[in-house]
Amino acid sequence: MHIRSILAVARKDTLDILANKSTLFSLLSLIGVAVLFLFINSLLGTHTTEVLIYDPGNSGVEKVISTEFTNTHFTSAGSSGDVSAAFGPNGTHKSTPYALGIVVPANFVSSLRSGGHPQINLYVNGDQINNIDRQIVVQLLTGYARSIVNPQPATIALATINPTTTTVIGDLGGMYTAVAILMSFITGISIIPNLLIEEKEKKTLRMLMVSPATFTDVILGKLLVGLGFQLLLSLIIASILKGFNGNIPVLLLFIALGACFSLALGLLAGCIFQTMSAAGGFIGIMSILYVASSIFVGPLGVLLGGGLIAQVLRALPTYYIAQGAYEAVQNLSTPGSVLLDGGIVLGCTVVVLAAAVWALRRQAAVAATI
Amino acid sequence: MSIYTNPELMIEAKDLYRSFGAKDAVSGISFSVRRGEIFGLLGPNGAGKTTTIRMLTGQIDPSKGYASVAGYDVVKGRQRLKECIGVVFEDQNLYERLSARQNLEFSCQLYGLPARRADEVLEIVRLRDRAKDPIRTFSNGMRQRVMIARALLHNPDVLFLDEPSRGLDPLAAREVRQMIAQLSQQGMTILLTTHLMEEADQLCQRVAFIVNGKIVANDTPRNLKLSHGKRTLTVTLGSQNGASTLSERALNMDDPTDQAQLAQWVRLGMVRAVHSNEATLEEVFMEVAGVRLA
Repeated sequence: MHIRSILAVARKDTLDILANKSTLFSLLSLIGVAVLFLFINSLLGTHTTEVLIYDPGNSGVEKVISTEFTNTHFTSAGSSGDVSAAFGPNGTHKSTPYALGIVVPANFVSSLRSGGHPQINLYVNGDQINNIDRQIVVQLLTGYARSIVNPQPATIALATINPTTTTVIGDLGGMYTAVAILMSFITGISIIPNLLIEEKEKKTLRMLMVSPATFTDVILGKLLVGLGFQLLLSLIIASILKGFNGNIPVLLLFIALGACFSLALGLLAGCIFQTMSAAGGFIGIMSILYVASSIFVGPLGVLLGGGLIAQVLRALPTYYIAQGAYEAVQNLSTPGSVLLDGGIVLGCTVVVLAAAVWALRRQAAVAATI
Repeated sequence: MSIYTNPELMIEAKDLYRSFGAKDAVSGISFSVRRGEIFGLLGPNGAGKTTTIRMLTGQIDPSKGYASVAGYDVVKGRQRLKECIGVVFEDQNLYERLSARQNLEFSCQLYGLPARRADEVLEIVRLRDRAKDPIRTFSNGMRQRVMIARALLHNPDVLFLDEPSRGLDPLAAREVRQMIAQLSQQGMTILLTTHLMEEADQLCQRVAFIVNGKIVANDTPRNLKLSHGKRTLTVTLGSQNGASTLSERALNMDDPTDQAQLAQWVRLGMVRAVHSNEATLEEVFMEVAGVRLA
């Protein structure tokens, strides 16, 4: 293994991808799909967010909330009791026209500056605010307090009413993010076989085999490029769709696991298939499975039920990547679910990688004769 | 580890075999190439030329036999061997979307050479002005020159050229041949395969005819032509009475009857001009190998 050769192959492949309009288009189209999802989500979510606020000190909370929720209507409450009365205690089921209720102490800013730990009471109506938006509000308030005094000095007391009733529309945002992240993994299963098969088809692999680079160097260089593009795209898409408002470490874990699984699968395809047309069929089928898996995760999966297709998809590792990513985005991950979903994906990655290594060893023996 | 038996021999092949399944592509060939020599492996398509090059460049292992290039065993010393050889392939295997310079810079990185070396070799093959253009915009001749430039980047001891003028127009083929001759003058050892006998005759100091995986002749082009070709003369004759009408006759120099006939024409003062005709390498090949070149 030669680092110099690996980096040379990686650099050359990066330049080649950037010069390849069709590959570049397919990569950018995934970002386009993410933007489209964001647009659809914003259309579906275009409704006025009614906020009941008690802020006698006129802090900047209203301004901060209105920057994230564009259609926001604020109603000033006469007292903190009005707000708590409109919502009720945590976990209750109650009908209210308000989506959010906020109680900001009168001396909030001065208390912060004098080293105090004032508390903001935040009331969330689960009928109107989904998990992502709830996280966003908490982060906005925390961020605002930090902007006054750092480190985080304020306490956010959160109470959610109507917590079990979530609208499908609201949760589709999380599903879109999961679908888009899963779609980004198509990069791994398409780039690696494309790069490998093109070297075989154009017979440039022969040139590499008479250079100081070994077959292992060539493969590692391509994996490096695939991983780079894969991670970059997944992170961009997750950012566009506000995926990082959920459980960030778990989301990053599933992005990394998904990338590894996809690259292993791409490597296997690149070794098995000798022509782009043959590999194209495989990539197409895998892309469908990736997207289908992500659709059957979350609220749409519940609506579609547990039919044969759902059962088949649950037997695939792509389903567990989608589930892990979805739960991370929705901040629904538990240690048990992360361990189960992550374990299945990791196990499958090891199996696919072992198959790819076996295929590679055969390929290495004939690399120069291709 | 170098295993030079004779430092002057840059390529040594001894009883080399290579089979693919039940088919023997190369069946026990032996030859050697001296330092600075241009050696031609000539034969029809499918004769085993490319398989021989692949074995000598470490791309595939011989089924049997032994070969060394630049002093390195082609199997055991493969990694070191790669540093000492340059290969111009039969197929124009360049990265079409990349520019000429990017193609060469990639090879520079593989060999650990500075990127400026790419411009130096582009200058040698007279493509410096097209350095930034993608390879897909190049003609066949220009691509072939880029392939030669790539093979020369690391100043290899031995250059392998597999059908270097295949698919080129006469002008481009001539340019490539001139380039090969220049490299030889600079002391580079060159092994080329071709099915173009005229090309081999012009370039090679020695040639080997390979047919069905076996070498059937190995010598200098001149010796091969002298030992195997028919020596003929074309005699231009005038008439005995001094009339101006001329005629041409072909005589076999090795035929006693023709020799006597020539002597008689000379005595009679009928001979106006004599041209000796050497056999072509292609004719020699057909005589020795018993097959036509494809």
